[in-house]
Amino acid sequence: MTPYRSVFKDESKLDINYVPRRLPHREKEHRLLMEFFNFLLQFPERMTQRVIITGEVGTGKTSLAQRFGADITLEANKRGVNFRYVHVNCREYRGKLFLILQHAVSVFRPNFPKRGYSAEEALETLMQSLDEENAYMILALDEFDTLIEQEGSESVYKLTRLQEMRPGKPQRISLISILRDLKSTEKLDASARSTLQRNVISLKRYPKDQLVDILNDRVAMAFEPSTVPEDVVDLVAELAVSESGNARFAIELLWRAGKYADAEDLDLVAAECVRKAVSSITPTLRRSELASLGFHEKLFLLGAARVFKGSQGTYASLPEIEEGYAVVCEEFGEQPHSHTQLWKYVQLFSALGILKAEVTATGTRGRSTRVSLPSVPASELEKELSAALEKR
Amino acid sequence: MEIEEVFSSKPRMKILRLVARLGALNVSDIARRINLNYSTTNQHLKLLEAEGILQQRVYGRVRMYRFNDRSPKAIAVQNLIETWEQNK
Repeated sequence: MTPYRSVFKDESKLDINYVPRRLPHREKEHRLLMEFFNFLLQFPERMTQRVIITGEVGTGKTSLAQRFGADITLEANKRGVNFRYVHVNCREYRGKLFLILQHAVSVFRPNFPKRGYSAEEALETLMQSLDEENAYMILALDEFDTLIEQEGSESVYKLTRLQEMRPGKPQRISLISILRDLKSTEKLDASARSTLQRNVISLKRYPKDQLVDILNDRVAMAFEPSTVPEDVVDLVAELAVSESGNARFAIELLWRAGKYADAEDLDLVAAECVRKAVSSITPTLRRSELASLGFHEKLFLLGAARVFKGSQGTYASLPEIEEGYAVVCEEFGEQPHSHTQLWKYVQLFSALGILKAEVTATGTRGRSTRVSLPSVPASELEKELSAALEKR
Repeated sequence: MEIEEVFSSKPRMKILRLVARLGALNVSDIARRINLNYSTTNQHLKLLEAEGILQQRVYGRVRMYRFNDRSPKAIAVQNLIETWEQNK
């Protein structure tokens, strides 16, 4: 038996919960958070802060908060401030304030009873524990919208106006609220909303070049050298862009592609592995769509599938695909259609999301079309098309 | 109270070992863990508190017991338990 080999060096670096030391293209936001909470390092007892982080799925909200949390904890502890960063996913606690606060209490009092008291008492206990230990805390409420939905304005108001109940005492708890869309805060009444929205950091979708940087960082950490070609990173980034710039999707896709490469005992992650990975995450190949295609459309797509399967590359030129189509036509005893017609097929398959065509300028003479098969494994596509053509 | 009286009770020794291992605990939790009823456990805890070995903290309706950090007796008892557990 040959020894097990893997393209991975350390696949834990692609885990959904892994927070890298450096967050590419979020440096500015990280600095901004440091500015907002700078007081914690100098005079923590004098004030508290409330920050909202918004952004779509996979824009780095959670990672940014956690990276910042770890960094400021280290810095505060270095300066002798007893500080804790507590990150709570509100959805995990069904949006219930009591359960969220109980989790925060358990950080200081691990054996504190789980029931027999109210959310208000949990909050008092938390404040008392912080006072006893002369500690300060940032409570990061991830998926904050779940808390709003479950508990409404009252709970948010309680969290933000804590200090008013204890005048003259040191301020202890700052908040970071993390949510996809500020719209969910519209459900709150005006007073609760105004206490929350002082500082909003909104994270934009990652464009392709930024996703490439993120992926390259992870490739260096998680994969053996030279096992992930540049064009494969490019393909993964391209796919993530179509998933609205979702970095989490990109990283998961990269991991799955690596797994497919390992399963097939490959030396490197091929584009085909990415296609298999993406079809396992999002089934883009629908049989009904294939069945509704015309005969020559199927022949053309079969030709393209074979070209991708044979080359294992990410991209193919249009003439290469036309050649593949011509071979398929010969096999089926058909006269191939003209170039103009084939160009229309490419447009059709692009619209269906099966192929992706990009016009690239090559030097001074003319332009050429580069075609990729982004989300369907070529082998699977070939199998489906052969079956559909046989039925005819 | 004389030392032999404090340490001659099995439940009290169990309580001390438990608190040494887990830190602050509430009365019901201690009672459940040493398999004793609430009121007897409470009496033992009060005695250990009166001796200055444990201290009580009240959080609303919850009472938590832990070693009294300022008491030399508490430090000595913790050291004794630790040494005992390490050299079993």
